[in-house]
Amino acid sequence: MSEETVKTTSAGTASSADEDLILELKGITKIFPGVKALDNVHFQLRRGEIHALMGENGAGKSTFIKVITGVHAAEEGHMYLNGQEVHFKGPKDALEAGIAAVYQHPTIYPTLSVTENIFMGHEFIRHGMIQWSTMNKEAQKLLDRLDADFKPTAEMGALSVAQQQMVEIAKALSTDAKIIILDEPTAALTANESEKLYRIVEQLRDSGVSIIFISHRMEDMYRLASRVTVLRDSKYIGTYDVDKITNADLIKAMVGREIKDMYPKPKVEIGEEAFRIEGISRLGYCKDVSLNVHKGEIVGLTGLVGAGRTETMEAVCGIAKASAGKIFVDGKEVHIKNPTDSMKAGIVLLPEDRTKQGLIMDWGLGDNVTLPIQDEIAKGPFKVKNIQQEREISKHYLEEVDTKALTIYDLGSSLSGGNQQKVVVAKALAQKNMKVLIMDEPTKGVDVGAKAEIYSIMGDLAKQGYAILMISSEMPEILGMSDRIYTMCKGRITGCLDISEATQERLLELSMEHGNEEKEAAQ
Amino acid sequence: MAGKSGRTIDITPRKGKFFRWETGLIFIFIAVIIFGNIVSPSFNVKSVFMNMPKYLAEMFMMFAMGYILIIAEIDISVGSIVCLAATMTCFANNAGLPMAAQVIICLGVGTLCGVLNGEILTHFQELPSMIVTLGTQIIFRGIAEVSMGSGGSISLSDTKGFAALGGSIGIVPIAFILIIIAAVCFIFILSKTTTGRKMYAIGSNHTTALYSGIKVQKIRRNCYILIGAMAGVCAMFMLATSFGANTTTGQGFEMDVISMCVFGGIATTGGKGNLIGASIAGFTIVLLKIVLSLLNISGQTILVIIGILLIVSVMIPSINEQITNKKKKAALAAKA
Repeated sequence: MSEETVKTTSAGTASSADEDLILELKGITKIFPGVKALDNVHFQLRRGEIHALMGENGAGKSTFIKVITGVHAAEEGHMYLNGQEVHFKGPKDALEAGIAAVYQHPTIYPTLSVTENIFMGHEFIRHGMIQWSTMNKEAQKLLDRLDADFKPTAEMGALSVAQQQMVEIAKALSTDAKIIILDEPTAALTANESEKLYRIVEQLRDSGVSIIFISHRMEDMYRLASRVTVLRDSKYIGTYDVDKITNADLIKAMVGREIKDMYPKPKVEIGEEAFRIEGISRLGYCKDVSLNVHKGEIVGLTGLVGAGRTETMEAVCGIAKASAGKIFVDGKEVHIKNPTDSMKAGIVLLPEDRTKQGLIMDWGLGDNVTLPIQDEIAKGPFKVKNIQQEREISKHYLEEVDTKALTIYDLGSSLSGGNQQKVVVAKALAQKNMKVLIMDEPTKGVDVGAKAEIYSIMGDLAKQGYAILMISSEMPEILGMSDRIYTMCKGRITGCLDISEATQERLLELSMEHGNEEKEAAQ
Repeated sequence: MAGKSGRTIDITPRKGKFFRWETGLIFIFIAVIIFGNIVSPSFNVKSVFMNMPKYLAEMFMMFAMGYILIIAEIDISVGSIVCLAATMTCFANNAGLPMAAQVIICLGVGTLCGVLNGEILTHFQELPSMIVTLGTQIIFRGIAEVSMGSGGSISLSDTKGFAALGGSIGIVPIAFILIIIAAVCFIFILSKTTTGRKMYAIGSNHTTALYSGIKVQKIRRNCYILIGAMAGVCAMFMLATSFGANTTTGQGFEMDVISMCVFGGIATTGGKGNLIGASIAGFTIVLLKIVLSLLNISGQTILVIIGILLIVSVMIPSINEQITNKKKKAALAAKA
């Protein structure tokens, strides 16, 4: 296997003796009840380096980070900090040793001020009193270092996710951390905010901090990291220099197989109009949104986070109330007051958050798939559950989307993000009168291998004549899968481009505020 | 059509768990019977049935409370609803209305209270049900107390109808027969129909339920109306044994029925448990109360015993989980 050769070359680069290593982990093995979460994992971090840690969901990245930060104790293996072996008994030991982590979902106290959040647990105290003015000054210094645009006295909950992350970084700096671990920091950020974060991270590196960076986004890694360590199935795959490994090889290392075509878009004859909304408005979220999708067409809807895309579609599908607007399916107007009406009309929304909106995580997959249709196949006036038929239907659709599950009784929580998304698709497919499929961020948090599979399912669905509207912030997938792309900004549609005229720059421009002028010019 | 990889998904029904909570409850139930036989010479089928109506009334509300807890809600106003419904029925009785009208008033008052709870909670969805029903708990009892006037109590002037309701067919009390019928209906709806599954869906994740086309608010409202109506039924059977109401009527009933549900394996966080367990638990508690009353043990002592039972019952599953986790870890470590 070629994987073996990759391993040997990486071993060559990793073991040069004269490196200035700040952190080294050797042969780390971590066992949880029922699973080996880490199996003989190695890792080396050079002083002042940005080192990416990559792998699919469930590869063991998070567990590995928790071992480094002392949350978990490893069953086997050694950890060396500045060449000295260390044993952390808890997160406090790691913090004292200068290792701090910033997690994807900042662990914040939303009702407290920024200063309080930064110095939580190590406040400045004199004579038993908290020194507020000193603390605020120190906090301001840290925020200045990060070029933050908010005050240390601001309430934490009022800040954006990007700003909250900055506070977390400031908190790490306040403990004088020499190693900072960033766990998926860009997942919830817009392109602009990500760029700002990149600059902060680079600045930290230049000031001598070593950084471990976890991300699903390839662009993060290319932009920042000098080396990348890949984990797969709890095992160490290799460490590579970023500028020496090709994208295809890296994906192969992460996924374990080759992905020939990331965006398998089939040629589909585009049919007549299946879905049209006219002048949809929702107070405070969107105004006068009109768009249409044809049979067999995949239409992208992009924009910055907060542009009102999800909120518009919630209004269309009856989750929230639209203040104005008309909805047409197959040319006929439909009236939608609640999600049940929407499903009856043939419009199915695949929500953005699979674990909170799409699935019931502690239910079996089968029950999840048939939840929307159980009334249709129920028996008798008392609507007795038709369990036999439910089983067959869920089996059929779960197999159709190729879910990695053994039985229909497997729990939703036992699947990876990608497979959960497939179950949500199966749940939509089981609704026989579905004509329009609205997919909200269909690959959010999904790893690269499963992404390709979801795109392939989307292609198949388009081929079968479904009209697909895909809400997405990820430019590569918008450009890779769509036939036509709408852009939204501040609750309004700012443009509609055919795929042949769409470029990343054009779309971003239309998604920004000044994109409105273009719209007016077009009218 | 099978998937691209030819992977197939098994649909063979899974075997039930070896140990179910309900099995344990049956053992506890039997233990209470044996305990009764040993400690009380007067403990037999007849004495149990004779004492039963007094303790059985609450169980009508238990089934509806089961629904409420399963959809991850709570209703702590039911005790006050019982008080209000009983008070109003006494007024109707004293006004000389026919028995049928009294029954309608009793059920009607309960249902109306339920409608009020349901409407408030579905129109203002962000309000926590605990607080809203705490408010209505005070309001309902307040209305009842104001109506009763300075005496703080009211009694039936014509007890014939209610005495008949508290009677028996042979040695089997009418209340017991109705409880069994109610149990069958409530259990059937929860475990066999799609409505039941919708309740579990709402309790497990109401957002997903909404996105799946379930009319979440309609079901919530109906559950509150239902428990109001069942509180009316409870009030009727209260009157059948006590022939009147006072300011403490129904006090603490909400906690009694919640304890029965929790003891029966229903999680207050929603989505878990069933009414078979709750029914066995309910009967166990009723039986235990009868046994202890046959021994002339005070009501307060009974409460202590039931409190201990409740805590032990919620501890067992978590202890069980700790043991299995330890075993799993040990097995894996042995393999590695």
